[in-house]
Formats: sequence, C-alpha cells, structure tokens
Amino acid sequence: MKKLTFTDLLITIMVGVVFGILMKFWDDLYTAIKPVLPVARQLLYGMWFMNGVFAFLLIRKPGVALIASIAGAGLSAFIGHGLGVLIYGAAQGLAAELLFAAFRYRKFSIPFAGLAGVASCAASFGLDLIYGYADLETWALIVKYGLRAVSAFIFTGVFAVLVIRALEATGVTNSIRPVAKEEYSLLDR
Amino acid sequence: MPAWFTPERMTWLFRVNPALKFAVFLLLLFITLFNRNLPLAAWLAVLSAILLYGFSGYSAKKLALLSIPIALSFASSFITMALFGKGDTVLWQWGIFKISEESIRHGLLLGTKSLSFGFTGFAFLLTVEPVLFFYAMMQQFRLPSKYAYSFIASIRLLPVIAEEIQVRSNALKVRGITFSRGVRGVGERIRSYTVPLFAQSIRRAQRIAIAMEAKQYQMGAARTYFYSTSYSRHDAIFLAVMAVSVAAVFWLSFGVPY
Repeated sequence: MKKLTFTDLLITIMVGVVFGILMKFWDDLYTAIKPVLPVARQLLYGMWFMNGVFAFLLIRKPGVALIASIAGAGLSAFIGHGLGVLIYGAAQGLAAELLFAAFRYRKFSIPFAGLAGVASCAASFGLDLIYGYADLETWALIVKYGLRAVSAFIFTGVFAVLVIRALEATGVTNSIRPVAKEEYSLLDR
Repeated sequence: MPAWFTPERMTWLFRVNPALKFAVFLLLLFITLFNRNLPLAAWLAVLSAILLYGFSGYSAKKLALLSIPIALSFASSFITMALFGKGDTVLWQWGIFKISEESIRHGLLLGTKSLSFGFTGFAFLLTVEPVLFFYAMMQQFRLPSKYAYSFIASIRLLPVIAEEIQVRSNALKVRGITFSRGVRGVGERIRSYTVPLFAQSIRRAQRIAIAMEAKQYQMGAARTYFYSTSYSRHDAIFLAVMAVSVAAVFWLSFGVPY
C-alpha cells in the first residue's frame, strides 16, 4: 500500500485546516438561515462531510480522509465550536475512510465519493442517536436525516469531484498524486 | 491568537499540562455524550460552568460575550426537541408542532448537554496555548511529531488563508460575478472560492514540507524539543480536583433523591 510521505501529510492537514476555515464561513450562513428555512438548512449541511472525502480525492492514499477530517474538526474546535466537534469529525472521517478502504482506495468517481459522504452522514447520525438529537417524531426524523443524506451526496459526490477536476486542470495535483501503473507502462513503450 | 484572547489573570488551570487537560476534558465530553440522565446532565453543566466562569481567568464581560453562542445552542436544541420530539403525554398541539412532557424533558436534557459541551470547550480553549498543546501531545502522549508539526505549520498560516478568502471575495465582487440560484449557485460559489484557495494552499504546504525535509526533518526520527513540557504538582492537584468534582456530580445526580 502506498504510504503517506511527509509532504502528503502536511498537505492533508493543510486541506483539513482550510476546510475548517471555510466551514466557519459556512456556519455563519447556516446560522443565519437556521430559524427561517429549516429545509434549506439541512440541504446546506453536506458541507460538513466534504472535508475527508475531498482530501482523499486529492491525495488518493489511505488514512487521508480520517486525518483531514480530524484536522478540520480540530481547527473548528479551536476557533470556537468547542471540543465536541472533534468527536464528530473523527467519526465522520473514519466512516469515509472505511468506505474508501472497502473499495481498496481505487475508486474516485462521483458515486463512490457521494457514498463516502453518505457514510459520514450515517456516522454523524449514529452520534446524534447516542447524544439524543435523533429522538424526534418519525416524520421529522426522516425529513431531517433524509435531506441531510441527500445533501451529503451532493456536496461530497458532485461538488467535491467537480472542484477536484478543476484543480486537476490547474496542474497542482500532478506533483502530489502517487504514480499510477498506466503511467509506468508508458515508459515501456 | 489575537490579543483579545489574553486572560486577566493566569489561573491554576493554565499551569496544568495541556495534553493532560485535553484528555480529562475529552473524558468529560464523552460522559456528557453518552449520558441520558437529566440530573447528571444538569450537574455536569454546573461543573463545566464553574470551570469556565471561575477558573478561566477572563473578565466577566468577555465571558458574557462568549456565552452568547452557548446560550443560543441551548435555546435551539431545546426548542427543536420540545416541538418535534417524541412523546405521548401531549400538552399542546398545533399543526405539525407537538409539545409533550417527554419532549420537554428531552429538550432540557439536550439543552444542558450543549451547555456542558460549550462550557467545557471554552474552559479548555481559553486556558491553552495551541503551540504548547502540540508540544505536550508529542512529549507526554507520544503523538508522532509529523502530525504535531503539520498542525503547527497549518495554524501559523491561518491569517494568510483568511486574507486569501477576503481577496478572492473582493476579486469576485470587482469583476461583478453573480451566481445562479439554488443548488447550482451553491456549487458555483463553492467552486469559485475553493479552487484558487486550495491550489495556493497545496503549493504552500508542499513548499513547507520540502523546506522542512531539506533542513533534515525526518518522520519518526528521535528528536529534542524547543519547548519542553512536563508534569508538575499542578497536574496532581488538577487530577485530584477533577476526580472529586466528578464524584460529587455523580453523587448529586444519583445519591440524592429528588
């Protein structure tokens, strides 16, 4: 298995931290519309699952999703969301990591990225169950977490993959990705 | 840390080893997370409030300001749960809103839990120096240095990243960029901010990593530390105080009949 070099690790944590800041801005938006538009609010929730998936799509090595997710949550905790988010970040990152591991870290397309986001969403639902956020009337439960899962898929599947493609176009990813087999075989021609 | 985050006085909480403090506070959070008992949740909130308001060493004005988001999270988790929570003993119903005895009780439980989360979080963050925290994690808890230094480097770059977001936002404004409505608009907004931001951050991270390795930083190599952290008698006092308080909290919740 391809191991993380120090450069990979530093980039992973940097990506996590940048997401931590973006989530801070996102949180302001989220809080502003929280009381007025409960449905839109759940649809914006997917941003919180993007971090780990995005980092994995970028670096494509084992461990990245978990580390980036913890880094992002750690930063959120430091800039005022409290240590509680750290527990959520770790669980969400772990779920995404396990999903990518289940496909042997070889799938990078929209459906798999989206599924990893939904897995993160499921992990956060599990923590909500333990915490007590999920003891709602059945209809409210389905609406809340259903919308959240849809949002997770859109953010981590569609948005993250599209941003990664745009980053690939800038050329910045060339120097950090592991070299694929096909690229080695080009040398033999 | 901005100058705003300087305490009025250094309390004993500052002198506790940051890594140890982190472990103990994380344990408190886990108790809060798994707890479903209302008196216990309430007493845990009281304990964390005492830690924050009594021993963080910040002025009452600053603490009051910092309490606003905590109070809001209490209110929002209480109200949502009271209105939409499960329950059979209905007290009031109007359309989709239904308040029952159980849902109110549950709302209070959630509310006090978010108070504990908020108070404990701030009590930790206000009394810890981020850089020293990572040094203590390396020295006392054997966190591999590659994680700690990556975090420290990233934290150092926060102001640069925040400035870049501002610059990007101004640039989009000057160019008169408008976004579509709905989901497409959200996607466009994310893309137009994140692509330049990440491209820059990735390049920067790569440069730092190469510079560190050029100066002979090696992952996993034995090393010495610029700031040395250790355990002291303050840590013994801290552990004793926390053990007694948590025992008291459990006794008040389960030992005293209500």
